Amino acid sequence: MTVKETQQQIVEEFSVFEDWMDKYQYIIDLGKSMPVIDEAKKTEENLIKGCQSRVWLSCSQEDGKLYFSADSDAIITKGIISLLIRVYNGHTPQEILDSDVEFIDRIGLRSNLSPTRANGLVSMLKQIKLYALAFKEIQEEQSKEPQEKTYPVEEVQKNVIRALKQVYDPEIPVNIYDLGLVYEIKVGDDGNVYIKMTMTSPTCPLADDVVNDVNNAVSEAPGVAGVQIELTFEPEWDESRMTEEARLELGLM
Amino acid sequence: MSSRRNNIISSVREQIPALSQKMSGKPLIYLDNAATTQKPRQVLDFLSDTFVWRNANVHRAMYELSDRSTEAYEDARETVRSFLNAPFRENVIFTSGTTASINLVAYSFCKKFVGKGDVIVIEADSHHSNIVPWQLAAERVGAMVRVLPTDVLTGSGRSGALDLESLDSLLTPEVRILALTQISNITGLNNPVGKIIAAAHAKGIPVLVDGAQGIVHSKVDVRKMDCDFYAFSAHKIYGATGVGVLYGKKEYLEAMPPYMGGGDMVETVTYQKTTYAPLPLKFEAGTPNFTGAAALKPAIEFAQWLATGETAQALKQEEEDIKSFMTDYLTSDRGIELYGTPSSSARGVGLDVKAPIFTFNIKSINAGDLAQLLDKMGVAVRSGLMCAEPLLNSFGATSALRASFAPYNTLEEAKIFTECLERARAMLF
Repeated sequence: MTVKETQQQIVEEFSVFEDWMDKYQYIIDLGKSMPVIDEAKKTEENLIKGCQSRVWLSCSQEDGKLYFSADSDAIITKGIISLLIRVYNGHTPQEILDSDVEFIDRIGLRSNLSPTRANGLVSMLKQIKLYALAFKEIQEEQSKEPQEKTYPVEEVQKNVIRALKQVYDPEIPVNIYDLGLVYEIKVGDDGNVYIKMTMTSPTCPLADDVVNDVNNAVSEAPGVAGVQIELTFEPEWDESRMTEEARLELGLM
Repeated sequence: MSSRRNNIISSVREQIPALSQKMSGKPLIYLDNAATTQKPRQVLDFLSDTFVWRNANVHRAMYELSDRSTEAYEDARETVRSFLNAPFRENVIFTSGTTASINLVAYSFCKKFVGKGDVIVIEADSHHSNIVPWQLAAERVGAMVRVLPTDVLTGSGRSGALDLESLDSLLTPEVRILALTQISNITGLNNPVGKIIAAAHAKGIPVLVDGAQGIVHSKVDVRKMDCDFYAFSAHKIYGATGVGVLYGKKEYLEAMPPYMGGGDMVETVTYQKTTYAPLPLKFEAGTPNFTGAAALKPAIEFAQWLATGETAQALKQEEEDIKSFMTDYLTSDRGIELYGTPSSSARGVGLDVKAPIFTFNIKSINAGDLAQLLDKMGVAVRSGLMCAEPLLNSFGATSALRASFAPYNTLEEAKIFTECLERARAMLF
């Protein structure tokens, strides 16, 4: 059912009541039958400003459609929110943003609410539209990024180096790349990476940990499909393999 | 109930056109009198006449129209003076309302008499207007605010009455002023201001009394009360909105610096230095609300008529009946909590010290919901915090319903109100 159709349905439901007290009783019953909201969602963040009674409204997304849940300490307010939720639940952000709320005026709700309550209604509507706007932006952001992005080899190479610079030798406060522990990096077209590296000494007891760290860091790098690491001590590492920055860092210059 | 009493009450109500209107097709039952009162015809006519026959700025021009205006304005001042039993016209300053009156004192008095490390004492059952101006003043001069608690706060009771046992220990030598509330706009309890003032004066501490509710529900005599300042609003005593009164003792008003600068409050002005006009104009900068202020005369005359002779007797009896009926209704039901309980067991608080202001909650029903349904039945009551958040919070409430009666309300209206309340309660339960 479209936003418009649901609204039409509500208008028809209300048209059977002639007396305003009956309309209120119906709204009260709607409020009472509304599902109970998780206490954890009653946060300061979800509290709508501008309502005389306290109203919490939260929103989630499923398959591109929005679903609202709400609660209030005032039962009439709760009934009115349940109508708003019925109108808007299961619609896309764009549908919500494009829609006009007409049922409130057509069932005479706006003119029959006290001005402070009417303002609350406006605040609730505004919050629903704000949620729609926020989710619309998130959806657009996601659709911009294709699911299977291909990375050029040079970019992957850079990403791998960036990842390697995050790994530190357990004994020296310089990353393994600047230490010169990495002898070779090969990136395949398929995103598989081959790394040849050494340790500062063949007897390093933490060699396994370092290799593990390298494996984890490089696997996470964008564009990397798989990692293969070869440990070598040929040629043996010495201080001359360090970058100037590393030597400076260690006070060797 | 005698038909004589009914006739008198009807004749009072006939004076007030607003009371005969309908809301949602039902006769209006107006029970938000603590917020503002409805106006009698004599005030409405006077206002209308003022705009036609007496409309010129006051204290300024040489022409007759201005004379008439000034005369009406000063007549009203004299009416207020005599109504409050103030000694001189200089004691009566026109402001824009109780809030403005209290702000004036909080600013000017504190500027002159309160300094760093001093203390201002306020009441726990005060309206925000008798709390916030003092907090602002304390911040400006580096003073501290202390609170005279209710029995709820000290844990000695649930009546909402002030706990006077802590008074003596609160009034230390650093206290420079005590800001009292004559009748709480939530509990309706009439505080023993005379007793508190005597205790403060014994220690040389001046006292301001917020009379926003007190002016309607009690006979005020500032000399007998011996308060140093008394503040009230015209619109709560059948007058125009935007007009208030500050009564002050001359010794303080003369020593206090002006609150606002502008026209009419000056004697001579050079670009370097200004000397101020004598009281009361020193505190009436700018064009005052001279039309509204002038209308305080017929408003007070109306209040005086209600408080005289047969009329007074009839209204008094009706009010007693309303208070007993409402109190019985609100205290006999365990599902209702009344804030400000007039029970004789509650530290000497009896019905005689409760004004007909009833603030309460019905368990697990939102006050706003009740007010909204009552509105559809023609009943106007307040819901929310009523500008007394700390007091309501002390009772454990975040909102409440308030029905406040004026002398022109009837027992019949109280009965209809409770019937409508029961109907709304059934709908919401």
